[in-house]
Amino acid sequence: MGYGRSDSYRVATTQDKDKKESPKKKGGKDLDDLKKEVPITEHKMSVEEVCRKYATDIVQGLTNAKAAEYLIRDGPNALTPPPTTPEWVKFCRQLFGGFSILLWIGALLCFLAYAIQAATEDEPAGDNLYLGIVLSAVVIITGCFSYFQEAKSSKIMESFKNMVPQQALVIREGEKMQINAEQVVAGDLVEVKGGDRIPADLRIVSSHGCKVDNSSLTGESEPQTRSPDGTHDNPLETRNIAFFSTNCVEGTARGIAVCTGDRTVMGRIATLTSGLETGKTPIAKEIEHFIQIITGVAVFLGVSFFILSIVLGYSWLEAVIFLIGIIVANVPEGLLATVTVCLTLTAKRMARKNCLVKNLEAVETLGSTSTICSDKTGTLTQNRMTVAHMWFDNTIHEADTTEDQSGSSFDKSSATWVSLARIAALCNRAVFKAAQDTLPILKRDVAGDASESALLKCIELSCGSVKAMREKNKKVAEIPFNSTNKYQLSIHETEEGNENSYLLVMKGAPERILDRSSHIMVQGKEQPMDEEMKEAFQNAYQELGGLGERVLGFCHVFLPEDKYPKGFAFDTDEVNFETDNLCFVGLMSMIDPPRAAVPDAVGKCRSAGIKVIMVTGDHPITAKAIAKGVGIISEGNETVEDIAARLNIPVSQVNPRDAKACVIHGTDLKDLSQDQMDDILRNHTEIVFARTSPQQKLIIVEGCQRLGAIVAVTGDGVNDSPALKKADIGVAMGISGSDVSKQAADMILLDDNFASIVTGVEEGRLIFDNLKKSIAYTLTSNIPEITPFLFFILVNIPLPLGTITILCIDLGTDMVPAISLAYEAAESDIMKRQPRNPLRDKLVNERLISIAYGQIGMIQALGGFFAYFVVLAENGFRPYDLVGIRLNWDDRSNNDLEDSYGQQWTYEQRKIVEFTCHTAFFVSIVVVQWADVIICKTRRNSVFQQGMRNKILIFGLFEETALAALLSYCPGMDVALRMYPLKPSWWFCAFPYSFLIFVYDEIRKLILRRNPGGWVERETYY
Amino acid sequence: MQAGTMDLVTLVVFGSWLAPALGSAFGREVFASAENADKDYDSAFEYDYESLRIGGLVFAVVLFVLGIVLIVTKKCSCSSDKPRPKTPDEETAVPIAQ
Repeated sequence: MGYGRSDSYRVATTQDKDKKESPKKKGGKDLDDLKKEVPITEHKMSVEEVCRKYATDIVQGLTNAKAAEYLIRDGPNALTPPPTTPEWVKFCRQLFGGFSILLWIGALLCFLAYAIQAATEDEPAGDNLYLGIVLSAVVIITGCFSYFQEAKSSKIMESFKNMVPQQALVIREGEKMQINAEQVVAGDLVEVKGGDRIPADLRIVSSHGCKVDNSSLTGESEPQTRSPDGTHDNPLETRNIAFFSTNCVEGTARGIAVCTGDRTVMGRIATLTSGLETGKTPIAKEIEHFIQIITGVAVFLGVSFFILSIVLGYSWLEAVIFLIGIIVANVPEGLLATVTVCLTLTAKRMARKNCLVKNLEAVETLGSTSTICSDKTGTLTQNRMTVAHMWFDNTIHEADTTEDQSGSSFDKSSATWVSLARIAALCNRAVFKAAQDTLPILKRDVAGDASESALLKCIELSCGSVKAMREKNKKVAEIPFNSTNKYQLSIHETEEGNENSYLLVMKGAPERILDRSSHIMVQGKEQPMDEEMKEAFQNAYQELGGLGERVLGFCHVFLPEDKYPKGFAFDTDEVNFETDNLCFVGLMSMIDPPRAAVPDAVGKCRSAGIKVIMVTGDHPITAKAIAKGVGIISEGNETVEDIAARLNIPVSQVNPRDAKACVIHGTDLKDLSQDQMDDILRNHTEIVFARTSPQQKLIIVEGCQRLGAIVAVTGDGVNDSPALKKADIGVAMGISGSDVSKQAADMILLDDNFASIVTGVEEGRLIFDNLKKSIAYTLTSNIPEITPFLFFILVNIPLPLGTITILCIDLGTDMVPAISLAYEAAESDIMKRQPRNPLRDKLVNERLISIAYGQIGMIQALGGFFAYFVVLAENGFRPYDLVGIRLNWDDRSNNDLEDSYGQQWTYEQRKIVEFTCHTAFFVSIVVVQWADVIICKTRRNSVFQQGMRNKILIFGLFEETALAALLSYCPGMDVALRMYPLKPSWWFCAFPYSFLIFVYDEIRKLILRRNPGGWVERETYY
Repeated sequence: MQAGTMDLVTLVVFGSWLAPALGSAFGREVFASAENADKDYDSAFEYDYESLRIGGLVFAVVLFVLGIVLIVTKKCSCSSDKPRPKTPDEETAVPIAQ
């Protein structure tokens, strides 16, 4: 086609042998088989052999009986839909997955404890039973919530599915018949024309200018010619095979179906995709790690107090009840709901920014991503050929390739441009489809070849209606493009007032056009073609070809009036007119240009420490040009080949370490060992993989994951789908993406805008930080909730805080503030940070636990106990007299227990005081949690730097206080929840502790900021 | 003149109603407290839980309404505030050590 395609037919589609050595999981055999080369051999056979193989006839087609027999043997010609998980399995996954397990275990332990109590005591306390029920209810409600959330996303997914049944034109027993594409069998003689979807893998037997769009299979933007001759050993590369579910863009062809359904190339990719197993999402791993830590703490506490209580002389059964009680008290009941709501909020926010997330957990994954493997065609580029450059008057002019025509324009005043535009408009068979006059030109549909459409749109944009131009210059003869001529020619009547009556225009491969030209047009004047001009042409041609663009040459001639008078009968078969000594006018080059937002997005990803790799099925030169255009290969970085060319030495002499960028061809990739592959991925920062097969894309993703990267894959074609599935997060395109790719992906960009990925990264990182804060906040109140029980066991005081009040905190007052932390703004520019290291930066680490449990939690417990002792003291029980009082206190038959002043208390009176204490303790926790939520807003900055702009958080503060007051003062609460009104002074008991927490943490953060990397940071920065 | 007498009469009538009302209220209160002090040595241990309850509930409702108002006003300024979290103020842009 052009200079830029010199190595275009070195192609890698066969699978490397290394793959077999790589460790494979279960079901590996089938997958390995699928990962291997395409088994089509028919392209190497002659038409007769193919006919014989399928017992079909080149003219008559299959007999109906034979077709029916094959249909029964092979099944319908349709892709097996990927096995869908039944709804109840999805629901159960929500109910029993990850965090829920912790709560379920807690609930079971509660029931167990209740059972023990019921069996041993006459009147067992209902606390454990209620707790168990509440825990189960929490899990079930949250499970339902997230199930419906995800169901909503998948419903949007469903709407993408293309429901239109495909039709196919087959010839059976000599008769053409339109049948449902599902009925097509191997051996059928199928006819396709422009606009059709290919119904099966076809071995072409005859064709008329047939071109197919293979972009969804190979990533090539340009339509490929299909003809009966085998041109390549590789089935994906040869011209005589057309593939299932690609589109025929123009011409007609007839072919014999050789593969149908899942056995087609497309079907194999789809099967490979659905067979792949995917790992856990990073956030799921983090939650698992968190559960381990929490369980560790709970079991440690539980067991130590179990031993302690045995030592203290409790009975075995009592000790077991204590053990269970302590373990259950460690379960943060509200956290599951908090995490789910936080993730949902982010998912919603992302959906508003056109990122649809299929799986709630995938919300965070982009934030952890350290490598993005992006497909080129349709993802980074617009997937439409556009005129990018022109060469006339001996200069290269740049055309506007932006989607919205916002770019700069070139100088259109030259007379040469007028001629060039006229040739491009006339020698062009593409036309706009009807009834699109209201649409912007670039959005209109065009019938015709991609490069002709590009020319048509370019001329329409810059010179006005092409239709009018064509009407003024009626076409009288035409020689269409063919591969031997490599040019296209047409003869038109000239406009009124021209001395000659016919104009011959020609376009085609630049070197062929040059050969036929004797003159060249400069500034509208014809000059003889000299050596200097030829060299200038060569340079321009090479330069444009080097940009990966498809270059076309244009020339024309006014046919002399004396030889070709009006009414001359042009004969295109016998060519009774001259096609030499033409006047060369210029070159135009086309490329599938990058999307406008992509370079910026790539730059942002780079500054966020994310490596962007291009993985494309397209040719290396085009791939490299686009990579340079969008910044995947940044300015000034060279590949090994560039260095070799610059220093004029062979490629083998260049030290590969000198080159930061590299372009790797699929065939080379095939020969690489795993170590070499790792080496490339590790040592080059800017990598482009070209001419890769779907299977190789998969291997590249696996390679990155092997090096510990969290990989995001973006793509739109079927060829991307195995990689999309294998990636930690697959991102598909919502508008242009194929169904298979959307099914394999975890996230869908509804507007096809690569820049939305940046949003995803930002949101993901923010929610990770904010989840940390949320968890730190929620865990802190665990300590003031557990310590009362521990002291109850250890020093035999009346129970300071009951189960119901604990639940009121965890599921009541703490909820809104914890969720509000999800709305917290970032503390610093999160897009300037490196991606988190999944091995080091955990969601919950020991430092977070130490802050929450060991420091803030302890102060909170002090505040709670202070309020408890104040309430009891005001009622006559001095703290010293409380120690050891428990057995008498809880004794129903003891109705004359004396306080420190000798006053006697009945059991009921004592209990009212005890529950007032619970309420006071509860209110104190609310008060200290005010300070906690404010300090949890930031992990490093001072609150004064961060500000209090988070209105949800302020609402949370008001709401939790209002709820606490309501619980304490609402009539009937004494019966319902056993909470009693508090004297106003008791509210203030915890205020000093609240203040202490605030000051303590501000000082900690101050030291942390002052001494970066110091002891405080190492020990307390979570 | 007529109108002036009218006013005076009204004032007197109103005043004569008001005075005993005030007086009796005063008197009753004084009387009641005196009676309590006479009778009950436990008055220091009695607490008016009824008004505490009402006060507490009013407090809760006020807070709750305040919170709701806050959220509602947030909705209005929401659209203009949106880009804010994306571009943190200079004062908060403290780089994070890697």
